[in-house]
Amino acid sequence: MIRDKKYYLDTFGVSEEQLLLLVAEGLACGGDYSDLYFENSAYFSLQLRDGEVSSGSRGIDYGVGIRVLKGEKTGYSYSESTDPGSMKEAARAAAKIAEGRGGTVEITPESAGRILRDARDRAAAYVPAENNGDRKVRKFFTGIPNPAADRYPMSQDWRDAETAALVPVLLGLRDRISRRDGTIVKILAQISGIVDDILMYNSFGELKYETRPMGSIVATVIFSRGGKTENKTVARSFRSGVEMLSDALLDEIAEEVTSGIDERFEATRPKGGGMSVVMGAGASGILLHEAMGHAFEADFNRKGQSIFSGRIGEKVCDSRISIVDDATVKGNRGALNFDDEGVPGQRTYMVENGILTSYLHDRISAKWYGVSPTGNGRRESFRNYPIPRMRATYMESGDATREEIISSVKKGIYVDEFTNGQVLIGEGDFTFYVKSGFLIENGRLTAPVKDINIIGNGPRALADIVAVGNDAKIDNGKWTCGKGQSVPVSCGIPTVLVRELTVGGN
Amino acid sequence: MEGLISEQEERLAQRCLEHALSAGAGKARVVLSKNLTELYGTLNGSLDKVSRSMDRALMFNVFANGRFGSFSANRLEEKELFPFIEKAVRTVEMLAEDPCRDLPNPSRTEKGAVTGTELGLLDTVSLTPDDRLGLALDAAAFGKIEDARFKVISEEGEYSDTVGDTLLLDSNGLRCRHSETSFDYAVETTIEDVRGNRIAGYWWDSAPRLENLDIKSCGFKAAERAASLIGPSKTRSGPATVVIDNTCGSTLLNPILTALNGYSLQQKNSFLDGTLGKSIFSGNLTVSDRGREPGRPGSRLFDSEGVAVREGPIIDRGKVSKYFINTYISNKMGIPPTVDDATRPVILPAGAPDDGPFDLDRIMSLCGDGILVTGFNGGNSNPTTGDFSFGIEGILFRDGKPVHPVREMLMTGNFITLWNNLLYAGNDPRPCMSKLIPTLAFGNVTLSA
Repeated sequence: MIRDKKYYLDTFGVSEEQLLLLVAEGLACGGDYSDLYFENSAYFSLQLRDGEVSSGSRGIDYGVGIRVLKGEKTGYSYSESTDPGSMKEAARAAAKIAEGRGGTVEITPESAGRILRDARDRAAAYVPAENNGDRKVRKFFTGIPNPAADRYPMSQDWRDAETAALVPVLLGLRDRISRRDGTIVKILAQISGIVDDILMYNSFGELKYETRPMGSIVATVIFSRGGKTENKTVARSFRSGVEMLSDALLDEIAEEVTSGIDERFEATRPKGGGMSVVMGAGASGILLHEAMGHAFEADFNRKGQSIFSGRIGEKVCDSRISIVDDATVKGNRGALNFDDEGVPGQRTYMVENGILTSYLHDRISAKWYGVSPTGNGRRESFRNYPIPRMRATYMESGDATREEIISSVKKGIYVDEFTNGQVLIGEGDFTFYVKSGFLIENGRLTAPVKDINIIGNGPRALADIVAVGNDAKIDNGKWTCGKGQSVPVSCGIPTVLVRELTVGGN
Repeated sequence: MEGLISEQEERLAQRCLEHALSAGAGKARVVLSKNLTELYGTLNGSLDKVSRSMDRALMFNVFANGRFGSFSANRLEEKELFPFIEKAVRTVEMLAEDPCRDLPNPSRTEKGAVTGTELGLLDTVSLTPDDRLGLALDAAAFGKIEDARFKVISEEGEYSDTVGDTLLLDSNGLRCRHSETSFDYAVETTIEDVRGNRIAGYWWDSAPRLENLDIKSCGFKAAERAASLIGPSKTRSGPATVVIDNTCGSTLLNPILTALNGYSLQQKNSFLDGTLGKSIFSGNLTVSDRGREPGRPGSRLFDSEGVAVREGPIIDRGKVSKYFINTYISNKMGIPPTVDDATRPVILPAGAPDDGPFDLDRIMSLCGDGILVTGFNGGNSNPTTGDFSFGIEGILFRDGKPVHPVREMLMTGNFITLWNNLLYAGNDPRPCMSKLIPTLAFGNVTLSA
């Protein structure tokens, strides 16, 4: 949602002149670039346990983060108050990253303009001009936010949601779930909504503002049969307001959380070791997130830490494979109108037809590499400075059918439900945990399997994808990526066959 | 350094408590917390980042007409807080009644956390920005490491110090305060071996007092740990003896502590449901809570409800001795309350042949052949069954001596079985950690490679 500029200035009690003076204050010790990130975050949640909606919570988180760059060095500070004195103190703390070169300049309306002009020349990213040979031009993002292009319009604001109106939604979900399976012993469910008012301003004079909603609904069900207990969790999360809580969504969650339970009780662990793995469409996108996406984040590459450092332009996998990181999927958990540096959200090909074409950049790495930022500068909150992060990461469809892929495997496993991924950036070794799947024997899905970890090496796994399905799908689960800071993301993939990964088992 | 909560802020917290009651709450609890962190980061021996962060938050629990809600705000002005509190009470009144929600009985709450400094965790040392910069730069080992086996690609170090201050008040008249400092240094070093393979190593230290922070050796240890993983080979799948070094055992202990928590038990989401008082683990396993030990990271006098932390066994020679039961779960399950979580759990030594040092080298020697795990790479477990599967990195050893590193390996099993196969627990936990977990050795662990 994008409201008018005045709403955001009023929310944070600041004027445009104050913003200008504050970024100049950040440059008072000689910094190259300075930016401000104001955030007013309200969250709301309701929990169902033991059959009743008997607890709820609300919270407010408010403040401004001030960042100063000197080359690739970062100074950062924040204030939980937006009174002028507190913000100035925070700006001065961040400014210290550049201390020691000519002392500190007193900021006045007159000196601010000069300081900002000088810094603008030093800090701008110079990128190749389109259709103009090797000539490079400065890249700025000066446009004002356009409500018509909003990727997450919100018709019912979570902040206005009445508890009394949402309690029946959770009770309705409870009823839908409980009537589907007679072996349920517990149902836990939660609705949560977050609404962030964001205002960003920087020493290039770029002013951006928007309101970001995020709604989530999660159901966990505990089943008991014959003295054995099993559980299943299903979540949906969207950049949306309360209007996301439709009957159709509740039916979908209830159906999914109660399906496959017979198999879960029957499931065993396979014999462990190296084997072919068919990754089902959708949530298997965690493979891309862990095995490739993190290693494509430009900060790791700029520092030489990633296994993909220095490999732009190289063929890294089959030419049928294209991998995208995308902020433009409307209402998606990874969608962004702007990243947290005010760079417009966009669709970035990391791998196009098998060629590594782009890392995921924030402003620092983009300037370092001489390319335009890709809109991947993200942060958990105003308490954190932005770093390159993924958004919605997915592989585009290929040409095989799911059935063709499964039937091509003599011995392996098919997996489609996951938790907990992780990667070692330097080595490229990644893992993810499989909650459920099936053995594949002679081209058919046979015995169910569960609770196994899979491990592999990113570049090798990428090169080992030997079949790509025509059924690409983005998973709408509550995916959260941790890299020192937590940010919402999503992932997707068509059905793919990886020639060999190591599977944990008996 | 000194505690961060001013008398004025304490009065504000008290007024919020009173306002919640006047707005309709029958009972209420308020927790005011403030943290100040100063961080200096280096990249390859040069200053790379500086950050200063001051956090404050007022969290409050509202108990109204048998109903309950929890709320938080970081805008600590009355004109912002009071309407928020009123809205919070209205929210709670819309919820279903749950008579089990209550404040803890005053007889169980902590009476001795008055100044916040009783545990001696607040260092009064005074540091300037230049002092902090000097510590960060002095700690960097970049450019000081020469080794024919590798070159250092990057070294990222972070020095930080934090002052934390927490004040808990409730409408039964409880007042508890906890203040502490933490000085930390962490470094990640990426090396490249002669074949061009990149490997990362990580090391850190942490202490409540600056004088106890071992900052200078971290960079060298991080590089050593990366170098120890040069030249990995694949290893055969199958059962093996596994030694877990003293940096990463929490991955195996945490699921046990979670399964002992009342929330998991009450929701039937625990593989340790119904095990209180039963011997279900190896007699070698004793986990004790030493949460009140002065001067130690992780020590606290009270839990999140203000209940006094009690020291004593959690698992005693394989027998489950304690569930973590807060007031709500106690009322819900009809069993006596304890505390809401483990405070500072310690795994006690077991299996030592004598009274001498019982560390990694000694345990590897006693085990003979096996896999030394130096880190976990992902994985998870099933809370209802205790089944787990984790990625591991480490070193194959024979006759107690390292042979070669292993990679892309998985360790799979069930926690009850695993802890029943505990062979040894060392006496070498790292003192900087809040969970004191020494070197551990397990027999008959299933590995896949």
